[in-house]
Amino acid sequence: MTSGRAFGSKLLLFFLLLVFWVVLTASLALHELVMGAVCAAFVVTLTVALLGRALDPRITPGVLLRLPVFMVRLVWEIIKANLNVAGIILHPRLPVDPRIVEYRTYLPGDLPRTVFSDSITLTPGTVTVELKGDVLNVHCLCPYHEDGLPGLERLVAWLFGVKPPGEVKGDG
Amino acid sequence: MAARDIVAAVFCCIGTFFFIIGTTGLIRMPDLFTRLHPSTKCDTLGACSVILGMAVHNGWSWDLLKLVFIMCFLLLSSATCGHAIGRSALRRNIPYWKKKEETEDGHGA
Repeated sequence: MTSGRAFGSKLLLFFLLLVFWVVLTASLALHELVMGAVCAAFVVTLTVALLGRALDPRITPGVLLRLPVFMVRLVWEIIKANLNVAGIILHPRLPVDPRIVEYRTYLPGDLPRTVFSDSITLTPGTVTVELKGDVLNVHCLCPYHEDGLPGLERLVAWLFGVKPPGEVKGDG
Repeated sequence: MAARDIVAAVFCCIGTFFFIIGTTGLIRMPDLFTRLHPSTKCDTLGACSVILGMAVHNGWSWDLLKLVFIMCFLLLSSATCGHAIGRSALRRNIPYWKKKEETEDGHGA
């Protein structure tokens, strides 16, 4: 079971690297593909030798399929929030009221938390300055920027197929 | 193709606009943490918009996919970089700027 999953993860990394190779070489000629396959296999072998695994087990084909939708939704959030911050910057009185808030996330594991904190940082008005365990320290430009965090968290949870906990914990 | 050039130019103009806003914010903001906001985000959106303009100008080709990769790496590295700066500032206990009324309320002494 576990060895099968490890093989799947190796195969996934192999195909990701191959796609990257094809895009960089900008050709589908056979000798390029063979060279790319050799290089991808070499990198996969090195990765497994160095890190003990090919990919984080949370990266599955399903996650990769949902990734483009996630990116589009994230970019939409980024644009909306960017216009908001642009308004603040151009406002004559510069109405900022920054604070560092602590946010406890229900997302499990390092990878979803990393994606979540990166998404927070990309969304204007919020920067993740520290991530310890399940507590994120988020620097907010204005108090209301904090309100966007649960929505982003739900988006990341959807990406990784994590079920949000019950409403009892959710409103904490 | 004139229409394509116009769309590309519009995207590049939007990108430049966000670059200008980001730089303005960098100058206007009061401290390190608040300066992270315009520098990591408005600039990212500006760069993405310029790249999008180039992609439109270029049309369908392999270069389009390369530009998309550049955009993804830009988003990743910019977020990580902003986080790294903020974190090191927090660990060195650099105080962050607060609104004046609140400083007087919260810390009387």
